[in-house]
Amino acid sequence: MIYHIQNKIYHVEFLPPKQDSEKLEKDLEIFSNKYLRVMDSGYCACITDNAMGLLSFQGTEMIEELDLPVIPEQVMIHLNTFHTKDDLDNILDICKSKGIRHLLIITGDGSERLPKLQPSDVGATDVESVTSVELLKYINREYPDTFVLGVAFNPYEPEEHEFEKMERKMKAGATFIITQPLIERNEVVDRLLKKYPEIPVIVDAWMSRKLHLLSEAVGYEIPENTEFDPISTLKILHKLYPEYGIYLSLLGFKTQYDLIKDIWV
Amino acid sequence: MKIVVCIKQVPATNDAKIDPETKRIVRKGIKAILNPFDTYAVEEGVQLRDKFGGEVIALSMGPPKAEESLREAVSVGVDRAILLSDRAFGGSDTWATSYALAKAIEKIGDVDLVICGKQAIDGDTAQVGPGIAAHLDWLQATYVMAVKEISSSSIRVKRMHEDGYDICEMSFPTVITVVKDINTPRVPSLKGRLASKKCEIPVWKPNDIGADTSKIGLDGSPTRVIKTQPPPPRHTSTKKIEGSSIECAQSLLRELRLRSIV
Repeated sequence: MIYHIQNKIYHVEFLPPKQDSEKLEKDLEIFSNKYLRVMDSGYCACITDNAMGLLSFQGTEMIEELDLPVIPEQVMIHLNTFHTKDDLDNILDICKSKGIRHLLIITGDGSERLPKLQPSDVGATDVESVTSVELLKYINREYPDTFVLGVAFNPYEPEEHEFEKMERKMKAGATFIITQPLIERNEVVDRLLKKYPEIPVIVDAWMSRKLHLLSEAVGYEIPENTEFDPISTLKILHKLYPEYGIYLSLLGFKTQYDLIKDIWV
Repeated sequence: MKIVVCIKQVPATNDAKIDPETKRIVRKGIKAILNPFDTYAVEEGVQLRDKFGGEVIALSMGPPKAEESLREAVSVGVDRAILLSDRAFGGSDTWATSYALAKAIEKIGDVDLVICGKQAIDGDTAQVGPGIAAHLDWLQATYVMAVKEISSSSIRVKRMHEDGYDICEMSFPTVITVVKDINTPRVPSLKGRLASKKCEIPVWKPNDIGADTSKIGLDGSPTRVIKTQPPPPRHTSTKKIEGSSIECAQSLLRELRLRSIV
């Protein structure tokens, strides 16, 4: 992941089509175009895993079915705990065979239709439910030296609890960290950077103009009409966190993509 | 083994409106989904086919739009699907519906096992599975939570009821209705979804299945809906727990225990 930061490789998040899409072919085409554009730019495509509990297709099957090229340093798959054991192993096997090395391991958001990994599925005997920690241990044990595993850090959660969790994630084998979206300097993130100086940290930059959508993540109400300039904020985050990577969530491919190429130089 | 899974498309809502004249659910303008209980039936059919070989066929009766639910079944692994759709089927109650489905099962031929979800979430009657068994004069087990064993001639199942469990062994052909404890339905793969869009789904009409038209539709339905009304609203209340985090956690635990939730 240090390579990504040293080479100024943006992490660009996008979502696979939803399972109930009524225009699947069109959505597949859009996904494919975004993916190829990110590859061409030399950035890293970060593909979500049933984000917000909404049933979507898996990044691995999108790459496989659409026959998309995998450049190992340019693909990151999110993997959460809402899978059957068979699906989990299938995803990991496809990642391995396709040369996808970077995985972001998260507990994730469930839904009624999504199965949940059971402790016995991942060989965990001391917990009642599977979190990113157990998933990290499982992958490191079953696929040694295969993947580069990262985890999420949420500066909006109760601080000490979040740092305790992070410690467990580190002990379980996490080697990089991606934060929740930031729009300004964040003291909790600053503490994280000091606590783990050797660990590559990627700061998430919120790229939607609709800042109020962040309300749930930050835990307080952001008024719907709040004015927000994502590109200016991105520039500010680069200045505030010059030695760290940047993860772009909700990036507008039509309106913003061409504007970011000259920012991180 | 030849397995037929009977499925139904239902309105995706907990707030169904009732037509005051027909006393039936208003489906217009409401998104339709595969009956959630039927997803377990589909999954069980696919798992049994994968384990014991053979073929699994999804069967549904409904308007042309019900084809969507059949495609969903194909997307998670059923081999083929058949839709019973015709105006003559319209207005069928559970007895007429199970008659039509039974006739279709006879037409498919050599079926060993019929699997249904325990009930549909729109009517909640749980009558169609048993109705199919009655029309075919086959054995049946309802509320099946596990298939314990299958031989070339019989199936052993665990069924749940209010006082415990039964282990039933039935010779083929037979009908089972399943509860959600039986499996975890898979999520369709992209490959499956794309395949399901291409597959052809034959539409059978009453003549195709040799149905007696006096036994389908409104004429074939002994049930008359006299009155339909929504259940009384649930009385809910919110209790705010205050104090330190430890006190709040203790209070919450006490409240949950009082309600036998934990």
